Amino acid sequence: MKKIFIFFLLPNLIFAELLLEITKGSENPYRVAIIPFQSDVSSVNNIVKVIKDDLLRSGEFYILDESMLLSIPSSIEEIKASEWKLLNIDFIVLGKISDEDNSSVKATYEIYDVSRKTKIRSSTVYGIPGRLRQLSHYVSDGIYESITGMRGVSTTKILYVNEIIDNDNLNYILYVADADGANEQELLRSNEPIISPSWSPDSKKVAYVSFETGMAKVFIQEIASGKREMVIENDHQISSPAWSPDGKFLSLTLFQDGNAEIYILNLATKNLTRLTKHYSIDTESSWSPKGTKILFTSGRSGSPQLYEIDLTKFNTKPSRLTFEGNYNAKGSYLSNNDGIIFVHRSTNQFQIALKYFDENFIRPLTESKLDESPSVSPNGNVIIYAITDNKSGMIAGVTLSGATFVLPATNGKVREPAWSGFLR
Amino acid sequence: MKKNKKLLISYSLVGLFIASCSSVQVTEEAVYEDSIQSIEVSSNRSSLEVPSSSRAVVANATVYFEFDKYNLSTRSIQALKSISDLMSENPLIEITIAGHADERGTREYNLALGQRRAESVADYLVLKGISRSRLTIKSYGEEMPAVSGSNERSWGRNRRAEIN
Repeated sequence: MKKIFIFFLLPNLIFAELLLEITKGSENPYRVAIIPFQSDVSSVNNIVKVIKDDLLRSGEFYILDESMLLSIPSSIEEIKASEWKLLNIDFIVLGKISDEDNSSVKATYEIYDVSRKTKIRSSTVYGIPGRLRQLSHYVSDGIYESITGMRGVSTTKILYVNEIIDNDNLNYILYVADADGANEQELLRSNEPIISPSWSPDSKKVAYVSFETGMAKVFIQEIASGKREMVIENDHQISSPAWSPDGKFLSLTLFQDGNAEIYILNLATKNLTRLTKHYSIDTESSWSPKGTKILFTSGRSGSPQLYEIDLTKFNTKPSRLTFEGNYNAKGSYLSNNDGIIFVHRSTNQFQIALKYFDENFIRPLTESKLDESPSVSPNGNVIIYAITDNKSGMIAGVTLSGATFVLPATNGKVREPAWSGFLR
Repeated sequence: MKKNKKLLISYSLVGLFIASCSSVQVTEEAVYEDSIQSIEVSSNRSSLEVPSSSRAVVANATVYFEFDKYNLSTRSIQALKSISDLMSENPLIEITIAGHADERGTREYNLALGQRRAESVADYLVLKGISRSRLTIKSYGEEMPAVSGSNERSWGRNRRAEIN
């Protein structure tokens, strides 16, 4: 009954490119001056532009316009702290890009802390010609972590699904792209829907739901090789995959009981353990950062609400976490386990909301009409989500400090974003 | 991108060095990126579903639901009664019931909701004496809207179970 054809893709098929737009920064950013990089490489301006965009997208930086620079120091020794204090600058970045040989480009950069009047970082990154965006992301993550004390996410990746019309046919494409939406590459193209992409914790594999057999089925695909397998083969629908933090288990929604129930699959033994048992819908499971709890959406109260099961306690009843409103779904934990983010319905809007565990109210983070699929960056600082606006669909982002950005697609509808783990 | 892989690996051996001299962080690292393989799958939908034209009698119906609900309305029951009559009279008819949801709410919850809608239809038919083995149940959630548009009218037409 199943006829699946797999073949390698031809290039130059229609694809969507995401274009970054930074819409709003945070209210109290680090003020940084980036001195024009010294370079004999013609693309130096592009490199610096990518670095600046990365820092701006985090929402935590103000970058002094080049025309405002009072001087252009060529080394840390030439910096006059008083001059930069006048401009209210906290940190100065100096950099240099050089061609090592045909196969390597070298970026060196230093960061100067104006208030402490000292150099705080001196770094070198070797990159590949033709892959200079990656080199730039390494530099921006270095700058980000020295200044904020947190790991940067510019070198991470995102998954998303793009629905496009190609030669009158509807196509669904699962893409992997850099965190800024650039460098997108197809992982899977199908003429049936693809939903719920999810990264393995080591970011080497993805799990997703594909309807290619005529019903929802969960697949795991190795990114580097394209090798893929259906995780459970039976006559029933299976969906909503989520990896345990150790990568050994996959939580899934199985429909074999005539109703959506959550199970945990041991990927090595293929053993299934049933987690929920209720006549209402239970789905959209996700794991706590330590893998000891599972958050899920359940209709058991009469409307979708978020519940949590403690895996360390045998046979415990799920505890309800959301009480505000009649629709709270698709939850996931913040990476420091401080709270959860989810889709919340308020009056007639679906928005992304945050609830800290030590607060008894929820905080709406977004304000368009049909927001869904929130995914948290590995440093816990940024949330990307899908917005739908009549016919278009695109990815938007919001940081916990309140900055926002959008990654509009140039073609078709983009949705279901999922953020990888750290890759650097 | 593949041609760069070897080089990337050799760089990755350089690794990431972090040395801490007083308060200056000194690092040296190399850009590393795994290769990415694209694949394409295609389903031949006609091979998945029995073509309705090959059946002597065709059982087709669509029933509609309220937002976040999967109970059958009086009107739906009337439509389903004619399906169950038809199936009782023609024991060879087998049907597929596909549940759908509107675009509002989350995709996975909508997939489960579509399943419940299809199950509601199946439960009714089974109650009317139709064997469950003659019914194939599935859900497309919000993935296959009947009509486009973000308004009450479109949503109402998309919250449905299709019988084929």
